[in-house]
Amino acid sequence: MNEPLFVIERIQKQFGARLVLDIAGLVLHAGRSYALTGDNGAGKTTLLRIMAGLESAQVARALYRGQTVDLGAYPEWLRRDVIYVHHHPYLFRASVKDNIGYGLKARGTPRRERERLVHESVQWARLDHLLASPAQKLSAGEKQRVALARARVLKPRLFLLDEPTANLDAEARQQTVDLIRDLCDANGTALIACHDQAIMQLPGVRRLHLQAGHIEARWDAVAPGPESIGRSPGAMAARPLIEGLQWQPVAND
Amino acid sequence: MDLLATTHQAFGMLFSGDPELWAIIFVSLKVSLLAMAIACAPAIAVGYLLATVSFRGRKLLILVNQGLLASPTVVVGLILYLLLSRQGVFGSLHLLFTRKAMVLGQIMIALPVLVVFTMSAVQAADPRLQETTLSLGATRLRTAWTTLAEMRFGVMAAVFSAFGRVVSEIGCSLMVGGNIAGFTRNIPTAIALETSKGEFAEGIALGFMLLVVALMVNFSLAFLQGEGGLK
Repeated sequence: MNEPLFVIERIQKQFGARLVLDIAGLVLHAGRSYALTGDNGAGKTTLLRIMAGLESAQVARALYRGQTVDLGAYPEWLRRDVIYVHHHPYLFRASVKDNIGYGLKARGTPRRERERLVHESVQWARLDHLLASPAQKLSAGEKQRVALARARVLKPRLFLLDEPTANLDAEARQQTVDLIRDLCDANGTALIACHDQAIMQLPGVRRLHLQAGHIEARWDAVAPGPESIGRSPGAMAARPLIEGLQWQPVAND
Repeated sequence: MDLLATTHQAFGMLFSGDPELWAIIFVSLKVSLLAMAIACAPAIAVGYLLATVSFRGRKLLILVNQGLLASPTVVVGLILYLLLSRQGVFGSLHLLFTRKAMVLGQIMIALPVLVVFTMSAVQAADPRLQETTLSLGATRLRTAWTTLAEMRFGVMAAVFSAFGRVVSEIGCSLMVGGNIAGFTRNIPTAIALETSKGEFAEGIALGFMLLVVALMVNFSLAFLQGEGGLK
């Protein structure tokens, strides 16, 4: 049984008076991958951004590898473990190589080592031929692959990917899905917001479903079928910790 | 006045290397480049902070800088004159009618331009930019550096605008420099003087050089932006 990597209890996010996210609990296990599904506006992006420390929220408790962390004052060391990749990734006005090497440079990795890692990452993402190209000129699919390579080269423990395959044409989408499959296989932990069946059906990917700001149900890719724990009062009654999801009564119900 | 003949004479002076003329050009470049060298780093830092950090007095500082953008250079010169004159607070430094005083004045003129334009350049940055640097583990300092580098065309525009303003201003240089030949006489003050004396050839030659400097600044900006404007 894998250790829980990230445990978050009671995440609430308000935009003005509107409660956009209200999740009783979330458990991500190390080495597992999760597809976070839900309609547009269900709060997928918001949840990922909160976990990446890019958005504030009320969080009752967050444990990362057993250690209590304050997501509001996101610790520096946690940033080095958790990487968020935007839906439309921002690439620096620089070459593909410099984009991928950015995080390593920030970590003070020596130049030789950096070049070796960048090279390896570029090959992984099949971007060899674009190494010196200006990143701004790439296609959407290539940009997404650069962003994934830029994240992977840092060997984070947790990837938070926001709709990595949305708005890509069929070929680019397949290439991206292949890379994500590889990330999931490589013992990394990933939480991937998506609508993409191809990602949900990757082997070992578990599904978390967000509905109107609540994690509603979970489908396991291995054994499909909803394990419903909807918000109806009956279903809500003291569900103990289940993998991927912890359900507790929510005060404002 | 035969404009053609005078212009011909003006170019003759420029290309024959008239020492007096080139001394004036040298003063202009030296003073303005030094002022820019001193003003750029702190002003860009302040512009960046105003765009990214909220602190007490931020709004006021923005308002003051925006207001100073429109300040007539001769008023800056007047204030500096009062400060540096013998009875002034800094009178003991004996800076009035020196190139240092001109540099000081031009720094004061350049600062608000640099601050305000840098601030708008940074504010125009994509919000994903800083989220990306943070997520990739960059410190705040590196994030600042990356942001300025990403917005380099806007920041460059700030630098060139400020340089264009200081190299061509006459009010402050005249007030605190005093237009002393061979010492504090720069292109703008010399043009005004020579033309009023009826020395049109010198005026034209200097005017031409000022235009060349200004155009060089504009062209380099257009060149850099032409490259960077493409998405």
